[in-house]
Amino acid sequence: MDLAFTAEELAFRAEVRSWVEQNLPKELADKVHNGKRLTRDDMQGWARILGKKGWLGYGWPKQFGGPGWNAVQKHLFEEECALAGAPRIVPFGPVMVAPVIMAFGNAEQQQRFLPGIASGEVWWSQGYSEPGSGSDLASLKTRAERVGDHYIVNGQKTWTTLGQYGDWIFCLVRTSTEGKPQTGISFLLIDMKSPGVSVRPIKLLDGDCEVNEVWFDNVKVPAENLIGEENKGWTYAKHLLSHERTNIADVNRSKRELERLKRIAKAEGVWEDVRFRDQIAMLEVDIVALEMLVLRVLSAEKSGKNSLDIAGLLKIRGSEIQQRVTELMMLAAGPFSLPFIHEAMDAGWQGNFPGGTLANAPLAANYFNMRKTTIYGGSNEVQRNIVAQTVLG
Amino acid sequence: MDFDFSDEQEQLRDAVRRWVDKGYDFERRKQVVAGGGFDRAAYTELAELGVAGLYVPEAHGGMGMGPVEGMVVMEELGRGMVLEPVAQTLIASALLAGYAPDAVQADWLPRLAGGEALVVLAHQERRNRYDPSRCDTTATQTATGWALTGQKSVVPVGDHADAWLVPARTAQGVALFLVDRAAAGGAACTEAYGLQDGGRAAELHLKDCPATLVTQDGAAAVQHGVDVGIAALCAEAVGLMDKTVATTAEYLNTRKQFGVAIASFQALRHRMADMKMQLELARSMSFYATLKLNEAPAERSLAMSRAKVQLGQSMRYVGQQAVQLHGGIAVTDEYIVSHYFKRLTQMEMLFGDTLHHTARVSEQMEETAGVFA
Repeated sequence: MDLAFTAEELAFRAEVRSWVEQNLPKELADKVHNGKRLTRDDMQGWARILGKKGWLGYGWPKQFGGPGWNAVQKHLFEEECALAGAPRIVPFGPVMVAPVIMAFGNAEQQQRFLPGIASGEVWWSQGYSEPGSGSDLASLKTRAERVGDHYIVNGQKTWTTLGQYGDWIFCLVRTSTEGKPQTGISFLLIDMKSPGVSVRPIKLLDGDCEVNEVWFDNVKVPAENLIGEENKGWTYAKHLLSHERTNIADVNRSKRELERLKRIAKAEGVWEDVRFRDQIAMLEVDIVALEMLVLRVLSAEKSGKNSLDIAGLLKIRGSEIQQRVTELMMLAAGPFSLPFIHEAMDAGWQGNFPGGTLANAPLAANYFNMRKTTIYGGSNEVQRNIVAQTVLG
Repeated sequence: MDFDFSDEQEQLRDAVRRWVDKGYDFERRKQVVAGGGFDRAAYTELAELGVAGLYVPEAHGGMGMGPVEGMVVMEELGRGMVLEPVAQTLIASALLAGYAPDAVQADWLPRLAGGEALVVLAHQERRNRYDPSRCDTTATQTATGWALTGQKSVVPVGDHADAWLVPARTAQGVALFLVDRAAAGGAACTEAYGLQDGGRAAELHLKDCPATLVTQDGAAAVQHGVDVGIAALCAEAVGLMDKTVATTAEYLNTRKQFGVAIASFQALRHRMADMKMQLELARSMSFYATLKLNEAPAERSLAMSRAKVQLGQSMRYVGQQAVQLHGGIAVTDEYIVSHYFKRLTQMEMLFGDTLHHTARVSEQMEETAGVFA
């Protein structure tokens, strides 16, 4: 049993660190380190840089042009990117739909869609949740009716993250109402420029429109855009969830944000306040424990010995910690987190932020925004159901 | 970066588990408690397994093993709430092997390894709470060596120990001494009592008591001993919490009310999920403590403090909720869960509680993330 990474793993990490340092634009890292608003170009620009290196699809197998990294390498790559201040990779293309296309799509679909995803040129959105179908996703109603060589799609998706930038959307749609709800769902790829597709941004409590509603009004979708077989879509979607994904814990980003919290605490004079400092110390211990949990899962995956069925714990704890970091940052700024000036969260704003510390401008918005983490990706209550199943049967 | 156990470590685990399952069930433990909280015969059986010599170097007749083996053994002992203080033997072995003059090592380590000598760390005083650098016990140099005067409290199996490792203050600062009970005679008196978990401890009164110097660097040695103790305690707690969670799950699946197993009630299912969370966080930090036990002192002690902060929260939650989910039977003496709970509670107060270690982490916190990476 050994805490240290191997020499090969350390060499790999050094290689990634060096490449990120040379290729991550400084202005972009500054934005991320300071919680500034990211533009479409920011996010897609980084995707394109990674794409050129062949690292946007960093989890892809070699067979499909991926680097073929193991679990530890993927973790180290994620960590180096997060610590350096790289923007989060928009996952819908490279992390979510691509593996489904690789596993269940045909050769034509793979040739048609994967290059655009790998390069970062094509922006994908996820069409899963509906107003009436959140935790109970299988109850979804967006209908796809087969007519000749097309599907006619009618319905509505919601919470479509960054859908306003999406070129394509992968959707779970209902193709049958017989039998159990899960057995009537299909996995369909839809061009968002198709007539009948409309996107309406949803303004969130942080003042920005991170998510959208997407309406489908008699949208004609070629039958070649169906992945695999009709009514098998639910199993394809579940396939994604079946690998242990340690990045769900987001521990790397939480480490980076912990450092940001300490900077803010110092700037606000609460680093010397024993009581506030103790709160940071407790959070630091929580992050160490989460990191150790992640490393245990990675080790189990690496050795193939004891598979640790604790993905739910990573999501629950990871999300709680993400929230706590934002909470303490906001509390550190105290009353000076309260001014809400929308433009102040853009990089390069030249105004006077009340209190004089621009770093405080996004803190409350960050805190408000992160309340989503315990809700999405399987709410923490649903995750607790799943964890309980592993203990109680 | 590897968290698998070797075949030898798995075999060690199996051997101790078999002894606990067959030789130290809840009935035997009740008898040990009734007999005062310590059974020399049980300790001897453990010594025969090699457990007493785990940290003793091979040159002195021990197994010469390391922190991971210690963790495995303590987890298994924790599952059975074994009262015989193997953790103290680990501490004493590490302190003697790490700090004592050769003659003292040669005199004591082989007997430690064989189980003939039980040596415990007596660092707690009435007024030093969790800070071993506060030490009111004094040591004065005599013609023949050293003489200690003072009182140590809550000394594990203090009245059965063959020797105590005693911090005492000299003119230069805190030093660590070995007091041989046989040699001390009336200069060392103990008042023994039972503990909340059924174990045994004693007040140790020293009056001009002859002692052998282990090291002048008492502060460093005691801190090291405490750190070995924390790592052992974390592992023991993980084994016990694992057992507690499993026992609770079995109860929920068996107990029926309103015509159904109470395991079907979501509130209770979520509580079990939270208990599992605390168990796995604790296990993760127990691994962390074990893997940091051989680091340089500052890094080692910080790691132990971090671990104890997590373990403190986990032990309290798992213990309290195990009782809650069992309902009335868990507050009876007859049923085992109240004993799990009492042991988990007691461990909070050993080697520094959660609040104490939070302060240590806080004081030493760096500006960087300061975590593993």
